[in-house]
Amino acid sequence: MPSASPLLLLEHVGRRLAGREVVADVTFSVARGEVLGLLGVNGAGKSTTLAMIAGVLAPDSGTVKLDGRDVQELSATARARIGYLPENVPLWPELTVREYLEACGRLRGMERSSRKRAIDRELLRLDLSGMADRLSGQLSLGQKRRLGLAQALLHDPELLVLDEPGNGLDPVQTTQLRELIRTLSESRATIISTHVLSEVEAMCDRVVILHEGRVRFDSPLAADRGALDRAFLAIARGNAKAPA
Amino acid sequence: MTARAIARLDLKRLYVRPFAWTLAAIALAIMAWLFLTDLNLFLALQPKLASQEGNLGFTDIVSAQHLLAFVQLSLLIAPLITMHPIAGERRAHTLPLLFAAGLSPARILFGKFFAALIYLWLLLIGVALMPLTLAHATTPDWGQFGAALLGCALCVAALVAIGVACSAFASHPALAATAALLIALILTLLDRGAQISGVQSGWLEYLALPTHLTPFLHGLVRSVDVIYFGLIIALSLAFAARRLAAEKVRG
Repeated sequence: MPSASPLLLLEHVGRRLAGREVVADVTFSVARGEVLGLLGVNGAGKSTTLAMIAGVLAPDSGTVKLDGRDVQELSATARARIGYLPENVPLWPELTVREYLEACGRLRGMERSSRKRAIDRELLRLDLSGMADRLSGQLSLGQKRRLGLAQALLHDPELLVLDEPGNGLDPVQTTQLRELIRTLSESRATIISTHVLSEVEAMCDRVVILHEGRVRFDSPLAADRGALDRAFLAIARGNAKAPA
Repeated sequence: MTARAIARLDLKRLYVRPFAWTLAAIALAIMAWLFLTDLNLFLALQPKLASQEGNLGFTDIVSAQHLLAFVQLSLLIAPLITMHPIAGERRAHTLPLLFAAGLSPARILFGKFFAALIYLWLLLIGVALMPLTLAHATTPDWGQFGAALLGCALCVAALVAIGVACSAFASHPALAATAALLIALILTLLDRGAQISGVQSGWLEYLALPTHLTPFLHGLVRSVDVIYFGLIIALSLAFAARRLAAEKVRG
C-alpha cells in the first residue's frame, strides 16, 4: 500500500540531448510501496527520465528530489538508496557472476560481510545460484537481465529504477519478474519503464504516459483497463492533447 | 574508498584478461633480449672502459639504458593498457553503473589511473630486477640506479595519465590508443627537429619528455623534472575529469 508522502519527486524536469528536447517539464512523484509504470513508445524520453532519477544524467531544468534532497547533490552513501537497472545491462563480461556482484557491492561501499550476505541473497532470489561461477559475458539475455536486477537490488535500495526490465525475457521469466517486482515493491518505491501496456497492467499501481518528452497521462491504474488502452493508443498515435 | 574499489575492479579485469598477460609476456621477453644485448656490449667494452679515467660503469651502460628502453617500450604499452578504462566502459554501457553509484568523475579517473599504473609499475619492477640479478657480480651505483628507476616510474605514470585522458575523450578504445601514442610520440620527439638542425629551442626542449628523463638516468633528481612529470599527470587527469563530468551534464 503506497504511503502518502512521496519518496521521489520530479518537478518540471527538462533535458536536451544533442540539441533536441528529449524531456520537457516532467512532473510526477512516487511514494513508498508504490509501483509506477512509465509508459511510452520508443523515443518518448523514458530512459532519459530514469537516468536523471538515478543521478546518471543531470537535468537541464527542474529538480529530481529523493526524500526532499536533490539527487544530483546526494553523497555516494545517500545514492545507495537508489537501485538502477539501465536499459543496456551494464556488465563486465570477463568477470564471473559472483565477481561482478562483488565489484558492484564494493563500488556501493558495502562492507565485506554484508556484501557476501547480500550476494548470496540476490543469487538465490534471482535464481542465479547455479551460475555464480560462470562468466557474466556468457549468460543468455534473460540471465543477464536478472544479473542486472541483482546488482540493482544488492544494496537493498529504497527506490528501484528499472529501465525496460522485461526486455529479452521468455514468458516464464516475465511471469517470475512480475511476481518478484510485486514482492519487492512492498517495502520500496519502484519505477518501471516499458512500452508494453500489459507489463504496466500486471505490475503497476499507477501509470505515467510520456510522449515526446512530456507527461500526457498520470493516473492510478483503474479497474477499467480499456480506458488506459484507449488513452495510450490515442497518445501514441498523436490524437490526444496534453492534459491541462 | 571508492577510487580504491575502481582500481581493484580494473586490476581484477586486467588479471583475468589474456590480453594483459600476453602483453606483459611479450614486453618482458623483449626487455630480457635487450638486457642480454646490452650486457654483451658491456662485456665487450669492459677491457677498454677499465683503462679509462672516469669511465662508464655497469649502471650507465646496462642498468640505465635498460630502464630507458622500457620507457620507450611503454610508449606503446601504456596506450594499449589505458585505451579501455573509459572508452571501453562507455562502449560496454557500464559508465551509468559507476555514475549511479555516486562516484565522482575524479574518483573514477583516479581509480582507473592507479590500476593501469600498478600494472605498468609491476612490469617496471620486473624489468628493474634483470640488472639487479647481477648486482653481486658488479659494482652498481645504487644512487644512480634509484634515480633512474624513479625517473622511469614518473615518466611511465605520465604516459598512463595521457592514455587515461585520451580514453576519456575518445569514443572507441582504438582511437584512444592511437591518440595516446601520437601525443606520447610528439612529446618524445618534440625537440628532435630543432636538435638536428642545431637550433637551441628553449620551450620545445623544456616540453620534451627526454629533457626531463635524461637527468634521472644520470643519477640527477631535479625538482624541475619531478614537477614536469607531476604537471603532465595532473593536467591529463584534470582534463579527463572535466570531460567525464561534461558527459554527465551533456549526455
